Amino acid sequence: MTLRHYLALVDTLARLSLKADASRYFLGYIWWLLEPLLYVLVFYVVFELILQNRQEDFLVFLMVGKLSFIWFAKSLNQASRSILGNRGLIGRVHVPKSLFPMASIQEGLYKQASVFLLLFTVLVSQGFGATLAWLWLLPVLLVNYLLIVACCLAGAWLVCVKYDFHVLVSMGVIFLMFTSGVFWDPRALPDPAMTDAVLLYNPLAFVIAAYRQVLMLGAAPDLLHLAAIGTGFALIAAALFWLLQRSSQYIALKVITA
Amino acid sequence: MLELVNVSHSYVARRQSFDHGVHHVLDDVSLQLMRGETLGIVGRNGAGKTTMLRLMAGIFSPSSGRVLRRPGASCALLSLGLGFQDGLSGRDNALLAAMLQGISRRNASARLEEIRAFSELGESFDEPVKTYSSGMRARLGFTTALLTDVDILLIDEVLSVGDAAFRDKAQAALKSRITGDQTVVFVSHAEGQVRSLCSRALWIEEGRVLAGGEVDEVLTAYRAGLVSRG
Repeated sequence: MTLRHYLALVDTLARLSLKADASRYFLGYIWWLLEPLLYVLVFYVVFELILQNRQEDFLVFLMVGKLSFIWFAKSLNQASRSILGNRGLIGRVHVPKSLFPMASIQEGLYKQASVFLLLFTVLVSQGFGATLAWLWLLPVLLVNYLLIVACCLAGAWLVCVKYDFHVLVSMGVIFLMFTSGVFWDPRALPDPAMTDAVLLYNPLAFVIAAYRQVLMLGAAPDLLHLAAIGTGFALIAAALFWLLQRSSQYIALKVITA
Repeated sequence: MLELVNVSHSYVARRQSFDHGVHHVLDDVSLQLMRGETLGIVGRNGAGKTTMLRLMAGIFSPSSGRVLRRPGASCALLSLGLGFQDGLSGRDNALLAAMLQGISRRNASARLEEIRAFSELGESFDEPVKTYSSGMRARLGFTTALLTDVDILLIDEVLSVGDAAFRDKAQAALKSRITGDQTVVFVSHAEGQVRSLCSRALWIEEGRVLAGGEVDEVLTAYRAGLVSRG
């Protein structure tokens, strides 16, 4: 299969899945924006209204964190089940198994494009005007994408090998939601050593913090750290592509006889 | 075009927690398939026919032995059951199926009207597949595979369902493909179809080849085997 045909298949699978998904709901494509906004609303009610959080610009802070986290979380949850979910196709045709998680990632990417547009609109309306510093978003987005690709390919492979990993992936996403600074600021922790540890050992926390630096403070993220994370996850993703390709028939057997 | 050399296949399947059982599906199967040949495979349910087709299609790799395919030869496995995305229309599923067989999006799109016409699905072609009967699914699957050019067509029981008129039409269309260069492996319980379409036949039982060669001889042995095994 040529790279061009592979990419066309990823795109077609993603678009058709989005179409089928939208047709299941009365509100259709509106859910692309409504669902993440409802998540933000739930967190806002809990932290701002019930727990009386007095952090300045908390709504914008929360939106940047939660909306970027949702991209990661939904992609990972969907992609890790994607190969098993396509067992019918896998039983009929020999195709690269990475197609299915990549199509899930692509689906998430299309949805996230509209979510980011909404986020930028809110930011501008709240006085966080778009500046040249927003160009730093490009490397942050690229690194975030590589992180998602690596985690999704790993999740998809593990769930195929042992379905039990499906539970661990869901638990892992919840763990990351609490530890990645989605609704709290790692840089505001009382212990600077803990701030360094969170940003060093949790790449997702670093990426979310980088979004906030660019969008809310108009500052460049730590580029060396960003490049290291990007390179690391690019290598992991490449290794996982190779693994999925190498174990394609083993995966088919596991999926069909599961 | 395709050769199986001493192919055996088994897999480990879980029956309950912490428990694994080894299922032996094929045992030392060898066969050769020439270009333009139509091979019929008969055998009872669970004999290993579908697994053999999946090995031929490259979906599985054998536990031992080798599956040799002519380099670059394309292969399509046509079977009933899963394989369609239920939430998508027949049109979208046909597009996807054709693309998965290696056809470009532009060429696949260009063939959709032809698929719609041959399958006789009418307006249902644009309805979700979840609303289709098994016969309608079979029409869509058969037509999509038949109208896309592949070197080796592997057919698993598909001509056994659907209404009689479409079955005859599908059989005639397949026959016209067979007279060309099309290489076909045809799995069926319908002896009449095997006799009418195939140039050679193979009887497999419990993963072993029990007879192979002239269609009439194999079918006679198969029928006698069915009677003696009850």
